[in-house]
Amino acid sequence: MSTAHTSNTYSAVGGIQHEEALLFEHAHEASEAISLPGVQGDISAELSAFSRQEPANIPGLSEPETVRHFVRMSQWNHGIETGFYPLGSCTMKYNPRVNEQVVRLSGLANIHPDQPMDSVQGVLALLYELQEWLCEIAGFSDVTLQPAAGAHGELTGLMMIRACLDARGQQHRKKVLVPDSAHGTNPASAALCGMYCVELKSGADGRIDLDELKKHLDDDVAALMMTNPNTVGAFESDVKEICQLVHDAGGLVYGDGANLNALVGMARPGDMGIDCLHINVHKTFSTPHGGGGPGAGPVVVNDTLAPYLPVPRIVKEGETYRIETQDEKSCGTVLGSIGQVGVLLRAHAYIAAFGKNHLHKIAQDAVLNANYVLHRLQDAYHVPFKGLCKHECLLTDEFQNKHGIKTLDVAKQLIDLGFHPMTIYFPLIVHGAMLIEPTETESKATLDSFCDAMLEIAEQCEAGDTQVLHDAPMKPIRRRLDETQAARKPVLVWSD
Amino acid sequence: MRFLPHTDSDRDTMLEAIGMDVMSDLFADIPSEFHLEQDSLDLPDALSEAGIVRKFTQASEQNRHAGNTRCFLGGGTYHHFVPAVVDYVISRGEFLTAYTPYQPEISQGTLQTLFEFQTMIARLTGMDVSNASMYEAATATAEAALMARRITRKSKVVMAGSVNPRYRSVTQNYLSRLDGEYVEVATHDFSTDVDAIIASIDEDTACVIVQYPDFYGSVYDLAELRLACDAAKCLMVIAFSDASAFALIQSPGECGADIAVGSGQSLGIPMGFGGPHLGLLTCKQKYVRQMPGRVCGMTTDADGKRGFVLTLSTREQHIRREKATSNICSNQGLMCTAAATYMTLMGDEGLKTVATRSAAALHHLLSNLPKHVTAAQGARYNETVLSFVSEEKRSAFLVEARKRDMFAGIPLEQLDTKMASNHLLVSTTEMIEEADIQDYLVALEVAA
Ligand SMILES: Cc1ncc(COP(=O)(O)O)c(C=O)c1O
Repeated sequence: MSTAHTSNTYSAVGGIQHEEALLFEHAHEASEAISLPGVQGDISAELSAFSRQEPANIPGLSEPETVRHFVRMSQWNHGIETGFYPLGSCTMKYNPRVNEQVVRLSGLANIHPDQPMDSVQGVLALLYELQEWLCEIAGFSDVTLQPAAGAHGELTGLMMIRACLDARGQQHRKKVLVPDSAHGTNPASAALCGMYCVELKSGADGRIDLDELKKHLDDDVAALMMTNPNTVGAFESDVKEICQLVHDAGGLVYGDGANLNALVGMARPGDMGIDCLHINVHKTFSTPHGGGGPGAGPVVVNDTLAPYLPVPRIVKEGETYRIETQDEKSCGTVLGSIGQVGVLLRAHAYIAAFGKNHLHKIAQDAVLNANYVLHRLQDAYHVPFKGLCKHECLLTDEFQNKHGIKTLDVAKQLIDLGFHPMTIYFPLIVHGAMLIEPTETESKATLDSFCDAMLEIAEQCEAGDTQVLHDAPMKPIRRRLDETQAARKPVLVWSD
Repeated sequence: MRFLPHTDSDRDTMLEAIGMDVMSDLFADIPSEFHLEQDSLDLPDALSEAGIVRKFTQASEQNRHAGNTRCFLGGGTYHHFVPAVVDYVISRGEFLTAYTPYQPEISQGTLQTLFEFQTMIARLTGMDVSNASMYEAATATAEAALMARRITRKSKVVMAGSVNPRYRSVTQNYLSRLDGEYVEVATHDFSTDVDAIIASIDEDTACVIVQYPDFYGSVYDLAELRLACDAAKCLMVIAFSDASAFALIQSPGECGADIAVGSGQSLGIPMGFGGPHLGLLTCKQKYVRQMPGRVCGMTTDADGKRGFVLTLSTREQHIRREKATSNICSNQGLMCTAAATYMTLMGDEGLKTVATRSAAALHHLLSNLPKHVTAAQGARYNETVLSFVSEEKRSAFLVEARKRDMFAGIPLEQLDTKMASNHLLVSTTEMIEEADIQDYLVALEVAA
């Protein structure tokens, strides 16, 4: 195994990189406007009375200038197509190009959401099949495709839990138990649903502590929100007992499915006692993250919660599909449309490519890669929770702190070595977290190269060769940015 | 499997390195009762890439769409022209396959583009600032209501009945589990009853939400409402569904909005059967610290060069947890890139042409309507309601229109169940040509 690479074997070597002004600084006398179709007549006199007073002052560049501007912008970005992107909890895997091709077919991209049902049977069939697959993969009986992202799925799931508890005459149950390792969206979603949170202190192994859980289970509990595998990368092996305890206390269990990549095809959250689960299709099912979104967060539910699914909902009657918009028991409407259809269709294409025989290889290779990275780094970096990890592994900067080096410095040095850093400072339950999720689409060579880089950084610390780490990154178009300045006097728009 | 780089020998080497024999050892921490048997899932066999293309092509051919019909449907989603460059830019892997810009040094492309997006959206809406997107217009409207409640520390929300029924139902749903009153003000004549809205404002009111142009396409004067909001110290929230309007008509900022939210789908994003679209949220500068969602700000780097970062993050869930201004995390980032590219290609001139032609098409249609249909009165942007003498007459027309490959309008009761079934919500954009309007009028005559 190679460990003694020098940095000049990493991919970041500089190259042709351009400074690029803001497009407002490019603006010149407006060039001839883009050619547009349409009716060239008058507008109504009534409407003319409401004319805009000041022009918007949107620059308008010619097509070649526009293309060059945004292509240069793109070149200032690191994407999964550019290189390794081991952001823990984010599942940055390769996004198949064929998925991009098929969702752009005019018969999918250019449909209006309110067309008559007979004109949209093709797209409804694809979405309906996806619904069935998601239920089967996660082990649940029904699903809503509506939620626009994971956090929105959390809110939707909690709304269903609320509706179910209300139907049981349990309006007073408002307490949501959230492990201290949970993602910030969990407590934020609970608050948005009119509930309040109690934080569960994790056990010494980073998992839910049964005694701590029992302490908080009472007649006020509405739900436990659990992430499994959790955000330290560990499987909650007591999941069955945990769900049983919550159910016995009259509460329900919400599953945060952000980490489903560790389980696909190997095990199903629905079999473990979870009542509902959101699936981040922009993680597990490989829809591209787009620099922030769009994602989609379908929520799968068991029989207990199925009556409370949001509307609208796609239903099949005989061989035809339609959208049901009314349902008295429903927790309501959570989005202005049936869902982020283009994202969901990519997920469909992705699952179709694996099929029943290959789906489990996603989880297998993802977990193998994470454990391999953990194995290679476990001596050089502090591992807060020992043992097998699932799809991601957690390290901290404890050893490097002795040399005045923090997680942030490690991350920035990785940039100079050609890698996107791991997730840093999350989860919050360890000091200086580095959460590494390699995913299944990375080769052994890439993993080795990343581990070599990490080991080289650790060696630099040991050797006291730390100035370079404090100064990093040196290579990208910008060096460390002043976030304090940005927040103190926010400049959010350009003024000419 | 073509997306997985490992060979079996790689897998063996790696397993050996970590001291394991077989793959299942990696899952030993999952109780065995939960282990699935190999190939036991009820899923189809894997499709080749060619198989996927075939399947999706067949499905797409079963749909009618704006590419092979004439689309007069609106109601929150519009068939505007999308230049090829927009899709090219958002297909670039560096934009498409990046995560949220957590590491600003290697995400300046996304960040500078967001800054440009925020600037152009602020300018188009006439507002001081914009965030870096919400999911879509309905949830953005709900977030605006919550934001107004935080700012005013009051809890009542007054919603005009002429706001898109979907925005209303999502907002009502979001508010229903929180303390505070939610009031909808009835609407008449397919327009907005400003007097009735003003009458519903009281000292507990945090905000009034109106749509402008409203759900029925009506454009109206908001000056009285602005004064009433000032008097009651509540916020005026303007929702909108076709942002292209503001190149032509008074912007929400010019109308005095405190918060303006809505859809940016019209700005270079295909209809896509409902998504992904683009939620916009803009506000006055003094309210930025109560905004939901991500926002990009300008700063400098260690060498003093200008650069961009996500900022004001102490509002957000990853820091503030249950006290965050919203639970939103992933947003519609790539759609911001699409809208930024679109607006850059269009400029003021192009945007104004789009808006003018969208409105001109409607005016042309309404100027030639036969007598048996009536159109709602008053100023309309690119959308209005046509009323037939009966549901049968409407159906007959819709059938005639379909024969001519036209989606002629949305039956209003489909979006708002309280409505009678003789109305059609009709919308036009620059994609409607004069010949399409001629055909529309012919279908109306034939079905008269
Ligand atoms: C564990 C976990 N839960 C929830 C979320 C929220 O998902 P989304 O960003 O899709 O809203 C994330 C995403 O980062 C996550 O990692």
